[in-house]
Amino acid sequence: MDSSLRKLLPWFTVMGLLVGALIVAAFYKDQFREWKIWQRVHIKQELARAVSDAQREAALRIPVEIRQIVLPDLRRVDRCITCHLTVEDPSYAGFKQPLAYHPDHAQHPIEKFGCTICHQGQGRATTREAAHGHVEHWEQPMLAMQYIESACAKCHLPSDVPNAPKLARGRVLFDDLGCIGCHKLQGVGGVIGPELDGVGARHGAEWLGKHFRNPAAITSGSAMPPIKVGEQDIEALTLYMLSFTGERLSDYYVSMKTIPGADAGRRLFTEKGCMACHSLAGVGGKIGPALDEVAKRRDTKWIIEHFRNPQAVNPGSIMPRFDLTEQEMRALTEFLLTKTDPNIVGFLRIPALMTPIQRGQAVFKKYGCAGCHGAGGMGGVPNPNAKTAQQVPSLKFVADSYTKDELKKRVLNGQREIPSLNPKGPPPPLYMPPWRGRIAEGELGDLVVYLMSLMPKEEKVTF
Amino acid sequence: MNSTVNNEPNRRDFVQLVSGWCATLFALAASGAAAARFMMPNVLYEADRRYRALKPDDYPEGATFLPDARLFVLRKGNSFRAVSAVCTHLGCTVLHNNDGNGFHCPCHGSQFNENAAVTGGPAPKPLPWYLMTLTRDGRLMIDASQEVKPDKYLVV
Amino acid sequence: MLLQLWKQFRDSRVGRSVFRVGVPASNLERAQAAVSSFLLHFQPAKVNRRTLQFSATLGLGLISLYLFIILTVTGVLLMFYYVPSTNQAYQDMKDLEFVVTAGLVLRNMHRWAAHLMVISVLLHLCRVFYTAAYKAPREFNWLVGVCLLLLTLGLSFTGYLLPWDQLAFWAITVGTSIAAYAPVVGEKLKFLLLGGNVVGQSALLRFYVLHVVVLPLAALFLMAVHLWRVRKDGGLAQPGEAEPAQTVVGLAELPQNKTYGLMELARGTTPAVGVQPEEEVFTWPNLVFREMLLFLGVTALVLVLAIFWNAPLEELANPVHPPNPAKAPWYFLGLQELVAHSAFWGGVVVPALIVVALVMLPYLDRKRVGIGVWFARERKLAVTIFTVCLVAATVLTLVGSAFRGPNWALQVPWKPLAIEER
Repeated sequence: MDSSLRKLLPWFTVMGLLVGALIVAAFYKDQFREWKIWQRVHIKQELARAVSDAQREAALRIPVEIRQIVLPDLRRVDRCITCHLTVEDPSYAGFKQPLAYHPDHAQHPIEKFGCTICHQGQGRATTREAAHGHVEHWEQPMLAMQYIESACAKCHLPSDVPNAPKLARGRVLFDDLGCIGCHKLQGVGGVIGPELDGVGARHGAEWLGKHFRNPAAITSGSAMPPIKVGEQDIEALTLYMLSFTGERLSDYYVSMKTIPGADAGRRLFTEKGCMACHSLAGVGGKIGPALDEVAKRRDTKWIIEHFRNPQAVNPGSIMPRFDLTEQEMRALTEFLLTKTDPNIVGFLRIPALMTPIQRGQAVFKKYGCAGCHGAGGMGGVPNPNAKTAQQVPSLKFVADSYTKDELKKRVLNGQREIPSLNPKGPPPPLYMPPWRGRIAEGELGDLVVYLMSLMPKEEKVTF
Repeated sequence: MNSTVNNEPNRRDFVQLVSGWCATLFALAASGAAAARFMMPNVLYEADRRYRALKPDDYPEGATFLPDARLFVLRKGNSFRAVSAVCTHLGCTVLHNNDGNGFHCPCHGSQFNENAAVTGGPAPKPLPWYLMTLTRDGRLMIDASQEVKPDKYLVV
Repeated sequence: MLLQLWKQFRDSRVGRSVFRVGVPASNLERAQAAVSSFLLHFQPAKVNRRTLQFSATLGLGLISLYLFIILTVTGVLLMFYYVPSTNQAYQDMKDLEFVVTAGLVLRNMHRWAAHLMVISVLLHLCRVFYTAAYKAPREFNWLVGVCLLLLTLGLSFTGYLLPWDQLAFWAITVGTSIAAYAPVVGEKLKFLLLGGNVVGQSALLRFYVLHVVVLPLAALFLMAVHLWRVRKDGGLAQPGEAEPAQTVVGLAELPQNKTYGLMELARGTTPAVGVQPEEEVFTWPNLVFREMLLFLGVTALVLVLAIFWNAPLEELANPVHPPNPAKAPWYFLGLQELVAHSAFWGGVVVPALIVVALVMLPYLDRKRVGIGVWFARERKLAVTIFTVCLVAATVLTLVGSAFRGPNWALQVPWKPLAIEER
């Protein structure tokens, strides 16, 4: 035993104890988990309300453990119920979080849907902060309740969801404002702006709201004109954007795309072309019977069976079997049995029954022309440094400067280079994309008729 | 300084060595224990031992097999009970007999009567019956960690 | 009491079959302890007193070895929860953090030990250079050491991808892209490494297999060779060491008409050659004890790092949205910085030059001066060149890691530039 070694001897014990203590400390730190607190609170609560020995025993049997809902089809594991232990227990209605009850589970059983598919946040996390997702490196924090309706659109058509007015409004605004003119969504739309698939996963509500009000302030060099709508509509639009999470859900979840209700039924009634043979309020075909008073003659079951196999319930019927899903049948039935609106036909907007101008207006909307040319083609959308008063030109007077064929060519070919007001400045960001190959021939004809009709009558007289 | 005398460990050295080894062994044992605990999973990606089934009315009269939880729910009127479908012999999944009474195992031919007692074959024990309760939102809860006697029914 | 039981066990048949020698009491037994125990036989029975001095080596080689051991233990444990699939890997990281007991701390240990090992191996290389310990007869061991350095980098780099988060994905994308700049073979090498043109499922699986099987086994083998050569080459390089003797007697020199014992054939250099006996101490306990203290110290350091700092885990890997700036692992940031200026220099010339220079070094610099002496005056030129290269590499790495912001623009680390969205 060397004297220098002897000096080191006490360090042996010290270092051994230090390593041991560090391991114990690491383990102890790991053992402290905040969810354990809430599980004990829950057990205490159960014990307090137990009235019989059996109930007391049952309360004591509740294990303290991490709980989770494994959802392979949603690619999720939701551990929210580790703290939110009572989401399915109605006796906890009115309790404070996390021990609160979540009403209305009937349509969305928790073992099939979990929590984060609607509420977002980090399902796998077991700490409050990380689970609610307001942490670094987590892209989808919990959705604020004011935007919760956006989650419905992951599975359902936005127009079909009952009690989701903001979502429906957002969908309408999306069409009316012509977003699709510049942006692609699921492969459809313009090329000037970025694609919108997954935009709801990339950006939060705050970013989207600010961006709508002043795009260039958030994304420098953005060509997008500010969206000039009220606060409520900004919120609705933001909410609709948040629904574009880019997630692909499995069949089970998207099978309920159409929520069977009268609204969906009305939409299907036009889409499936029922009016070709049947009539409502005297409008439509005469091959099949009029459907105005079908509710007096038939019940739900009969109509659904009839959709399934017309000849089985009505031998000799010439109605073909349509390839309808169960939900579509139920939606159409609901519509047929409840239509009470006397102006029903006005709502239906059946192309064959519309004037070319009406159809052209629909085309104008379908391709998002309003996004650049303004609502109704009235202009007013800024396009910095464009020769045309730094705006996208209004379409009010196209009838003056173009023939129908010239206008068709203009739409088909587009115009990539927009003349600059100041040749030294940056080129104007917005331009006319070519629509060749994207717009159908009949649609183009209708569109041109509509555009020509924009010319105010009295000014034509003075000419 | 006489180095040969000094070089032999003295009593003090010995005590320090022993305490050093004890500390090191403690560290080793602690890391071993931590590693062993690490290996014990805290969550499982299999069906919950406390399995939430559907509402009582969703089950028909007789036996219904729940594939996730590998058990049978048996209904007789308003009475419900749940039995494991895992053969006590070597863990195969047992089948419900076609005549509606009892179970049999397709692997090695064990036979169980309607109370899951062994009536034939190599199975050493009856199939266990599990505690069934009703949750507050009216669904059946089967707790596979709580065994009960076969005559214990949940009456709804 | 316990001691009695222990002694009884040691004296029993089983005890004697396990431990070849008892706790050594005499000098003979101390020598036997080192020679006949598997774990200790890498070391000679006696070592030079200077070997015990911390300042002689700073313990860097041992520290690297210990970090490798820690990495192996934590790595094997982590493997029990890790699935190398693009759907699962990131989720497993989350599970380790949120539901596995001590999962986070083990992952932290593994991550920090990996970074430490890269540092300690690099410092070990510097130490060996500055003490001229690569000169004859240790040239080959220097080569083994260079291979071990490359393996260490390879281990760290392949491990980097496994969490499958943004950090991992883009570090590997950038890192393999630097490799692709190599002439002729670069693109093919990248393709082979990734098992495709982009970092995806096959890249993850390849990196995983390399990380947990191929590279550790190679490293383990080379480490054994490295340690064995340290001993065979005469232990730690000492000032005033004699010229190395020929280690194996040529068979031609020996009469052919008799059989030979091993001792007659192998004439290895031992630390005893040309050294006074009083300069020597027994390995057991003098060296072994110090080695153990160092192991405890390294473990404690890794534990402290792991308890107080979490290993980074960013968002799930997303090939569409690269972070700005996307950076390679830190030890390649010097190269990335060079690539930003010139792909040819950063991707081809400099890395090739570094490897070639390291390989050639012991065969170019053969003058037997300064062995075992830090910054020997006689090696002023070599020391200066090496130091300049080292400083340049450090500065480049520092600039690449801390002073580069979005779009690879210069920034100061305490005032990061804002990311401009487009």
